[in-house]
Amino acid sequence: MSAAPIRDRAMDEAVVVARDSENVVVGNEIIRHRLSSRLIHWSVAVTFFVCVLSGMPIWTPVFAWMAPLLGGLNVCRWLHPWSGLAFSLASLVMLVAWYSEMELRPDERSWIGPKLFTYMRYQTDDSDVGKYNGGQKIFFFTSALAALGLLVSGVVLWFPLRFSPLVREAAILLHDVTFIMFAVTIVFHIYLGTAAEPGTFGSMTRGTVTKAWARLHHPRWYRELTGAEKK
Amino acid sequence: MSVQNSLEVVRSSAQVWGSSSAQRSLPTVSKLIDTSTCIGCKACEVACQEWNDLGVIKTEQRGTYQTMPTLDAGFWNLIRFDEREVDGGVKWLMRKDQCMHCAEPGCLEACPAPGAIVQYANGIVDVNQDNCIGCGYCATGCPFEVPKFSAKTGKMAKCTLCVDRVSVGLEPACIKACPTGCLHFGTKDDMVALGNHRVAQLKAQGYEQAALYDPSGVDGTGVVTVLAHGDHPEWYGGLPRDPHVPIGVRFWKNVVRPIGLIAIVGAVVGAFGHYLNFGKKEVKGAADSETNLPQA
Repeated sequence: MSAAPIRDRAMDEAVVVARDSENVVVGNEIIRHRLSSRLIHWSVAVTFFVCVLSGMPIWTPVFAWMAPLLGGLNVCRWLHPWSGLAFSLASLVMLVAWYSEMELRPDERSWIGPKLFTYMRYQTDDSDVGKYNGGQKIFFFTSALAALGLLVSGVVLWFPLRFSPLVREAAILLHDVTFIMFAVTIVFHIYLGTAAEPGTFGSMTRGTVTKAWARLHHPRWYRELTGAEKK
Repeated sequence: MSVQNSLEVVRSSAQVWGSSSAQRSLPTVSKLIDTSTCIGCKACEVACQEWNDLGVIKTEQRGTYQTMPTLDAGFWNLIRFDEREVDGGVKWLMRKDQCMHCAEPGCLEACPAPGAIVQYANGIVDVNQDNCIGCGYCATGCPFEVPKFSAKTGKMAKCTLCVDRVSVGLEPACIKACPTGCLHFGTKDDMVALGNHRVAQLKAQGYEQAALYDPSGVDGTGVVTVLAHGDHPEWYGGLPRDPHVPIGVRFWKNVVRPIGLIAIVGAVVGAFGHYLNFGKKEVKGAADSETNLPQA
């Protein structure tokens, strides 16, 4: 008989372990994100999504068709600043929780530039890539900066008449430019995390990845966890 | 009030397509304000409140005859009082402040809510309360700081140039109430001619800098103002010297936003194209090289 308590016997061992541990091997899987990490990620993602749904129809009438999804443009105008606040809070939690894992090593700075394109062509030598590659780390910090920019400009747009006309103009532009850059980046974040790199989406839902996935995408992380030799 | 008649709308805020539905051609209407003959009696303020059923506004004594410090969503017409030392004497400058009904309305340009601000064929700029979301962008677009927001509805309200009266051939309420005849109503051409005539009179009286305030930065305004001290519009309750639609608003709407839209749609298309060209990043082979979990 298994030593696990009765209620856990029907449960997937990896899922149980993933509730409070990560960076451990369970069978053929490696736990990449524990439950709290996944909850943090999805809080940011869902609040971001609500901001996009409520903000796009205000941003441009080309997306006016999205307004009825939430009950009309007036609902969007009311909801957007609140979801923005929630997004800022979730982003802050994420920044604090994951900061230590995301610090850029000196050799990873080259990711800002042509290396991103080389990566997209699947031509980079990933043999020294740890738990997060340079691109992911840069995305982490640029997202945090973008969230801050959106928050600051967002507060001005929320209470426009308390600020001077010049500040309001600057806020409209900052909010817009920041959002556009963020949206373009998110398209690739979602693309890479789903269609382009199979096995990745599960790391943020189930919390685990296969050993093969780790060997392919994050070899140094794989070596550190399994004690395997570098080839 | 709701849009008077869509056959008369020449411009509408935040429309992707089909923003001009005007079939009728109407002469542009205009209000002429002659500050040189205004006595500051405020009959126009009362007439506006009464005609538009805006009710009595509570105010407080701030050491000036001016009723309110600024316009309000429930107070669309304000006589500004400015005392100023000019040429060794004291001038008491009064100017009727309300929406200027610009030919190129910055409020309309900035507004992101489809159909919330419209411009009629006769030049009147009106707010469609049904569509206003109270976001405040119009306040950023307006160089005259006219748009104000209702604490009751959250939406923007301002002088309508009595579009409901004008539509049935009446003059605006303020014009009708003015006892000195310093307010005039008619076509833009007629009001400009009348205003210039008055400016010529003032110049002959020694006001060499008298001018008709009809700023070209907004392509001219529906409300034109005779100023005895035309070189100092700012003396008359802070009238801006060179009002125009703010460059930030123009840049946002005509540059940043279209480029952004293309960039985001382009990113989605690009991701799809990337997938078609490069496919997935994975390794196929023996059993333990599966990057995906085996289906249970």
